[in-house]
Amino acid sequence: MQKKGAQRERILHLLEEEGGVTEDVVRRISLETGVPEADIWGTGLFYTLVSKPGKRVRVCDGLSCRIKGSDELFSKLRDAGKECEPVSCLGQCDRAPATLDEDLEQVCYGVEARGIVPDDPELPMNLGGPVRDSYSSLAKARETGSDAVIAEIEAAKLQGRGGAGFPAHIKWKGVRGQKETERYVICNADEAEPGTFKDREIILRQPHLLLEGLAIAAYAVEAKDICIYIRGEFTSERRMIEKALEAASEKISDFTWTIYNGHGAYICGEETALIESMEGKRGMPRLKPPYPTEYGFRGKPTLMHNVETAACVPAIVERGGEWFKDLGKTEPGTKLYCVSGHVNKPGVFELPLGVTLDELVEVAGGYDGEPVAFSPGGPSSGFLPISRRDVPLDFGHLSKEGSMLGSAGLVVLNDSVDMAKATGWQLDFFERESCGQCAPCRIGTRYLRRQVDSFIGEGDPDALEFAEDVGWEMEEGSICGLGMVAAKPLESAMKYFPEAFGSRSKQ
Amino acid sequence: MSSTEFDIKINGRTCTASKGETVFEVAAREGISIPTLCHDTRLEPAGACRVCLVEVEGQRRLEPGCAWKVSEGMEITTESDRIERHRKVLYGLYLADHDLDGEGLPVETANGNQLRELAQKTKPLALHSVDAPRVGRPEDVNPYIAFEPDLCILCARCTRYCDEVEAVNAITLANRGSETTIATAGMRGLLDTTCELCGGCIDTCPTGALIEKKSPDPLPADAKTVRSTCNFCGVGCQLDLHVVGTNGTSRVAKVTSPPPGETVNDGNLCIKGRFAYDFIHHEDRITEPLIRGEDGELHPATWDEAITAAAEGIGRVKEKYGADALGFVSSSRCTGEENYLMQKISRAVYGTNNIHQCSAT
Repeated sequence: MQKKGAQRERILHLLEEEGGVTEDVVRRISLETGVPEADIWGTGLFYTLVSKPGKRVRVCDGLSCRIKGSDELFSKLRDAGKECEPVSCLGQCDRAPATLDEDLEQVCYGVEARGIVPDDPELPMNLGGPVRDSYSSLAKARETGSDAVIAEIEAAKLQGRGGAGFPAHIKWKGVRGQKETERYVICNADEAEPGTFKDREIILRQPHLLLEGLAIAAYAVEAKDICIYIRGEFTSERRMIEKALEAASEKISDFTWTIYNGHGAYICGEETALIESMEGKRGMPRLKPPYPTEYGFRGKPTLMHNVETAACVPAIVERGGEWFKDLGKTEPGTKLYCVSGHVNKPGVFELPLGVTLDELVEVAGGYDGEPVAFSPGGPSSGFLPISRRDVPLDFGHLSKEGSMLGSAGLVVLNDSVDMAKATGWQLDFFERESCGQCAPCRIGTRYLRRQVDSFIGEGDPDALEFAEDVGWEMEEGSICGLGMVAAKPLESAMKYFPEAFGSRSKQ
Repeated sequence: MSSTEFDIKINGRTCTASKGETVFEVAAREGISIPTLCHDTRLEPAGACRVCLVEVEGQRRLEPGCAWKVSEGMEITTESDRIERHRKVLYGLYLADHDLDGEGLPVETANGNQLRELAQKTKPLALHSVDAPRVGRPEDVNPYIAFEPDLCILCARCTRYCDEVEAVNAITLANRGSETTIATAGMRGLLDTTCELCGGCIDTCPTGALIEKKSPDPLPADAKTVRSTCNFCGVGCQLDLHVVGTNGTSRVAKVTSPPPGETVNDGNLCIKGRFAYDFIHHEDRITEPLIRGEDGELHPATWDEAITAAAEGIGRVKEKYGADALGFVSSSRCTGEENYLMQKISRAVYGTNNIHQCSAT
């Protein structure tokens, strides 16, 4: 219940400023904001960046970092006297193993092997090109008017790049058609799907493209407020956005811009959990419907887009929806593919939507070793065997494979990887990041992870006897997308790599 | 059928429904039972326990009956092979995260255990325990409310009740994932929080994870329930006194509220009504009228004798010193009607405005 006059939206920011949850801090914030102590305590303890006081080094244990030795790095740092904490993917898979220092700044222990597509003005985002900060598309949008802009987005058949691939224009029309005139545009920059690091690159290389895209969206749906919710671990990215906002202030001053920090919770990439987080609550997804287009931030109509979706908008407005649509191979437009794991040049590559794995890896310097499996879009997409290398990497085809493109964070695994172990790592991620609201996900993720651990330890396949049932229930019964896909790594690995789940020797 | 009413189908049966109603509300009216653990009519639907998932024609996923709003022509299915499988696995997961008895069923508690009842109806999948790292507050010395984390299913009825009904916010969900638990700020004892010890959290808890410290064991099967009115104040909350033992030795072992929706208190009680029943059997309790005699001692009397003695005494004072020598003080335990009568006696019968009620200051 919202207490009258209480300033709930401030509490996470204050917890961050005060250095994390302690009894004293919670009491002070409660007095200052009028929010009950218990609510602040419960909210703070949800988020790993504020749940306890003190500073520590954070070592990524995402799949790409694990296969590049993050476990060893963790032990090494701890042995050297550092206080360390494992953290779910840091979005630096191209520099695995990734680490943040005590002040959340990136430290590079891996190889600087970033790949990026070279300058090509024909690419909508063109991350390798010169910074695009003319805001000419925004000017054009203002000239042609909302209807024309939305018509171009529709013609482009732009699909949301956050993972679901939902047609963007339907959301735009949905928000624009609301009676309520207080509306919000939110940019979801909470990039956290392991294997994904494209939004980071957009922000660092073409920040104005993002701001321009958001401004066009806000103009089209007649919103005045634009919020950017950025991962708390993305400190240099936040600075880049602040710099860009300042530089572009004259051109986009008719909108109110606010940056919100994430506080260490993967689930806040889910749109309604993100909104809850912005409202100063535990990041637990809401029941849908109602959808954010109708009932979003502060209960108002809200248009939310992933960074990449927004970054596609300026080129669509400038060169037309048809032009963008035709850039794709099997589906509309270009897509930023993130590739890491066992490839020679991990990085972010803007390619026609629908390229195959081989085409993608060719750009990424070729395979490192003998590839056996790949994960097309983070742990949420499970694993596919290398025999599926010719499947177009798009939303539709991968969905038919029982997988998903998701945020296109591809991880390639070669024959040095134990698929059962890799599965365990992915399940570990979901267990840690489950919000705990609903039983199928809260209990299911822990059950599956423990059973896979038990199987690896004991070598007895009986440990996985009920894995299929539990996975089925997680997909059927969970509230949000995290629970629905959290069994995918195990389900797909058991399907495609049965030999990894047969009897094995005890470990 | 009014203009806002329409037909929907539940399990093939045509039911009349209104705009804004949930599947649950329509089903309840039609006598169709849908199991649930996290729903309480006093709270906003949370859809968190997932027990009430039903099939909604046209929806790809199962949807929570407690929260799903009906619309014209909607077709709902509450029993099917898919739902049966869902319940079987879901209950299995709950049991893997729950304290079980020798038969592998959720333990019975002083507050019942609805999960046990569900598991008896639908045989759950037998899964290994997940051994969740959920912590409680074993150091909490408050005299009334105990929390047993191994019985908690995280439906959040208690925290939502504390927030939405009582607006007290003493307890909260804390931590994340399988570590999620019911906590207080600083994990302090309830006496050191905003908690008013109303015990509503105990009442709403479906699995007995929150129980009364005073009444920690299940009541015997022959315990009687006696409906009574709380006499701690004038609101008139209804109580169910749970009485154990036979005539002569019978005792009130526990007090609960009638279910929500039945009485004026709508399922709620305060700390006094729920927990302060020890006076009933206290040896100092006065159970009959007493009159102080010439010998200076108190002697048992009938009500007629006692009222007569009081009236005579008051009359003598008025006669000797006048009406304003009298003062009448009423109690906040009286009802409004009783307080009204008291001032009527004071003003109309004895002729003084010296009338006071203890909660007036």
